[in-house]
Amino acid sequence: MLRYIAKRLVFAIPTLFAVSIIAFIIIQLPPGDYLTTLMADWASQGGAVEAGTVAAMRERYGLDQPIYFQYYKWMAGILLHGDFGISFELGKPVTELIWSRLDFSLMLSLLTLCFVWAVAIPIGILSAVRQYSITDYTVTFLAFFFLAVPDFLMALSAMYVMSVYFGQSVGGLFSPQYVDAGWSFGKLLDLANHVWLPVIVIGLGSLAALVRIMRANLLDELSKPYVTTARAKGMSEFELLIRYPVRLALNPLISTLGWILPAVISGEIIVSVVMSLPTTGPLLLRALLAQDMYLAGSLILLISVLTIIGTLISDILLAMTDPRIRLT
Amino acid sequence: MNYQRKLRGLVLSTGLAGIIMQGLIGTAFAQTFNQSPTLQEQVTSGALPDVAARLPEKPFVETMIDGVGTYGGTLRTTILANGDQYNLTRTIANELLVRWDPKWSKVEPSLAESFTASDDATTYTFTLRKGLRWSDGQPITVDDIMFWYEDVFMNPALTPAKSPTFTVAGKPVKVRKVDEQTVEFKFDAPYGLFLQQLAYGQGHLPVIYPKHYLSQFHEKYNKDGIPALLKANPAVSDWVSLFNSKISLTFQPAYWQNLDLPTLNPWILTVPYADGERVAAKRNPFYWKVDSAGNQLPYIDNITWAKLDDPQLMALKMTSGEFDFAFRHINNSTFKSVLFDGQETGNYRFVDVKDLPANDAVILLNLNSNDPVKRKVFQNKDFRIALSKAINRQEIIDLVYVGQGAPAQVAVQPEHELFNEKEATQYTEYDPAAANAELDKLMPNKDGEGFRLDETGKRFTINFMVADVFGLSYPDVMQMVQQYARDVGIDIQIRTTDRARLNTMWSANEQDAYIWNCVGGLSEVYTDPRCYMPFQKADIFFAVRWAEWYANPATGEEPPENIKALMAAYDKVNAAVTDDDRKAKMKEFLSLSAENFLNIGISRPMPKYMMVSKDLKNVVDGIPITGNLWHPAPTLSQWYFDKAR
Repeated sequence: MLRYIAKRLVFAIPTLFAVSIIAFIIIQLPPGDYLTTLMADWASQGGAVEAGTVAAMRERYGLDQPIYFQYYKWMAGILLHGDFGISFELGKPVTELIWSRLDFSLMLSLLTLCFVWAVAIPIGILSAVRQYSITDYTVTFLAFFFLAVPDFLMALSAMYVMSVYFGQSVGGLFSPQYVDAGWSFGKLLDLANHVWLPVIVIGLGSLAALVRIMRANLLDELSKPYVTTARAKGMSEFELLIRYPVRLALNPLISTLGWILPAVISGEIIVSVVMSLPTTGPLLLRALLAQDMYLAGSLILLISVLTIIGTLISDILLAMTDPRIRLT
Repeated sequence: MNYQRKLRGLVLSTGLAGIIMQGLIGTAFAQTFNQSPTLQEQVTSGALPDVAARLPEKPFVETMIDGVGTYGGTLRTTILANGDQYNLTRTIANELLVRWDPKWSKVEPSLAESFTASDDATTYTFTLRKGLRWSDGQPITVDDIMFWYEDVFMNPALTPAKSPTFTVAGKPVKVRKVDEQTVEFKFDAPYGLFLQQLAYGQGHLPVIYPKHYLSQFHEKYNKDGIPALLKANPAVSDWVSLFNSKISLTFQPAYWQNLDLPTLNPWILTVPYADGERVAAKRNPFYWKVDSAGNQLPYIDNITWAKLDDPQLMALKMTSGEFDFAFRHINNSTFKSVLFDGQETGNYRFVDVKDLPANDAVILLNLNSNDPVKRKVFQNKDFRIALSKAINRQEIIDLVYVGQGAPAQVAVQPEHELFNEKEATQYTEYDPAAANAELDKLMPNKDGEGFRLDETGKRFTINFMVADVFGLSYPDVMQMVQQYARDVGIDIQIRTTDRARLNTMWSANEQDAYIWNCVGGLSEVYTDPRCYMPFQKADIFFAVRWAEWYANPATGEEPPENIKALMAAYDKVNAAVTDDDRKAKMKEFLSLSAENFLNIGISRPMPKYMMVSKDLKNVVDGIPITGNLWHPAPTLSQWYFDKAR
């Protein structure tokens, strides 16, 4: 097992290298650079774009250098000093910006995961065991409905309903009086009061998908001979269900578990933007729009690293839950 | 008879007594100033000097709309999470040497107590108010202005290119210290528009650089200390980037991230516009304006901006009463019905904003196109007139702008003194027959699909760059224009794009044509005629090479005589010394511009709006706003809540 992990980690290095190059190229693909954004900004304030100023700034930011040299500078900073560069727009080190938002992203992803699993697995089981019943049809209908509705639309409708009919303050994770306050019981309560709406909105889409996966897998398992055998031996229906078919049906869920890590960074960007959540999603979107090169590049690189780590974790978990899988 | 005369005498003498009394009270006011109760404690404890010592000898006395206000309260408003620093500028940062009055009709003293202009419009003298202070209590004097001029503006590392506001005929201004309170701005050539330019937002440069604070980041003053400062801040690499990280030109993000920077604004930042969830500011105890009763402004204690990523959430929070004031991003037709319905629950009212450009949608054909065939056609005025007549403007206004607008060319708005009916409406009548007849003369041959052929026998196609900006639905407008053009045999291809790409394209002069809005609907037409002639390198772009030539005849491409005449006409406006002469020259210029008919306008805009709490008083209704007129910031210090909160 250890050897397997070590091997996987070694293989990850060239992958990461390739990904970093691709990330950098993708960011450079759109025409213009951060200064184009700045120029448009100046123009809208009634300022003229002075060619000399722009040229001097381009030189200062190193944007006049060829792309491979900019990449080299960025990579050298990361590898030698752990320095991911400076965000042009916010004038701060990229690492500082990312870390300040990572905790909320992580919290939101984990809460969503818990919510999705806690709800999807029982419903999936129910839906499979009571196939073609009213419950099954209702669940199936709802699952397809939530799969079909875009999550930003869901976020907007949920916020509208909560705001107009229940008078709740929506958007963000805290009420105004707690935004800058230190951590206290009151703030925690306030967080709990706000966080459930984004968790449900983000969760509903994947919840619907998981219910369908669970149902389909379990149906496969339920018709297998070992179930009939166990039932013939007089095992109780509930114990039987939980001990064998459900455990096997969980496989696909576990194999996608690793994706939760990259989702921490990029997950649900649109929902986060619409609901103004202090996560890394809006940061990435804005960095891409403003062509804030190092910030966007670092976030994409981070997503790639987390994808690789996440997949590894998934593989290990799979090996532990399913003895049929061997790591060689 | 006698009785009547006596009565008149009585009235006259009481009137006179009243004037004398007022004079006496007036002097009395000048000596007793009042301040916000929130500051009293600090004064008592000795942390702050007395209010009279904090104010200049002759503070700016603000005239009120609803009368003298009361202190207190927090103004809750909102800002986009990123790229919206301009919103802060427009709310709390527009304190200048001279300012436009809130009606945008004349330039009046502001930080400068008085100003004079020489008869030849080359030399301007400003006298600062005595006793003005930065927000940290240090005095602001002519030395601060000289610091800006000598060490920032004239320093090639900090200012590689000089702002056109302070440049005439390619030569930067010369600034001279006369005495502690007096400073002289001298230009090489007549610059009659200087005071107007200085009163716009871009005129802030001389008065945002506090020498006592910024000199520590300047190589000239602190050469030995800078390496340590660089080491402490990983985000900067040399003294120039260090300096630029402490204060930034045009209020870019760095300005709003530095809580230590002393300012002259009514409120000072307490939570920066960085990566948090809000921005906040508190009153500046050294603010230099008072009301007529001697109360130091501003009335409102604090301002908070909720940082939101999405305008839809702004509108939702406005209707649920979470904000007292908002206008940017949600004051367009998309949100109006929702915001209208939410007035009761949100406890706000609508106030008119005269955000009136010269036109909301303008077709800008590239007169300097790199393609010689297209260039020839676009430069043909008859072609532009034919295209203009082919467009059914009323239908576009009805369908896209829900009736909000009027068919018009790029022209000054009817409410302005420079308005001219003919210039505003020439060639706006929908007349496809006349357009066809005209085009038949220019491009008689058509291909099998009915599209006209150019002189080389190929189909004449205009590739239109269309970006969806300002909430003005340009893609929808262009879809309709495409259809009207097809009706007269012109092939228009729509290329949707984003603003960044468009910027790159027009910088390189690669576009055939695009659609944009046009500034110059009200008084800014004097200083910013970019839609009326090839002017400077900004976002209105229909003749880049000629504009370059105008800025510097050694570059670009020499325009034809009629364009040169137009440019000369504007130079006369800039050189005019008196208001009357300037106005007359401007009329000549505008009529000449209309005669040249350089671009095709579609719709005259309607006023926009902002939302303010029903509890807020002293809000100017119908305040003018444009890209360079950074209202309503200068009027916000007199806002007050008439209900305690």
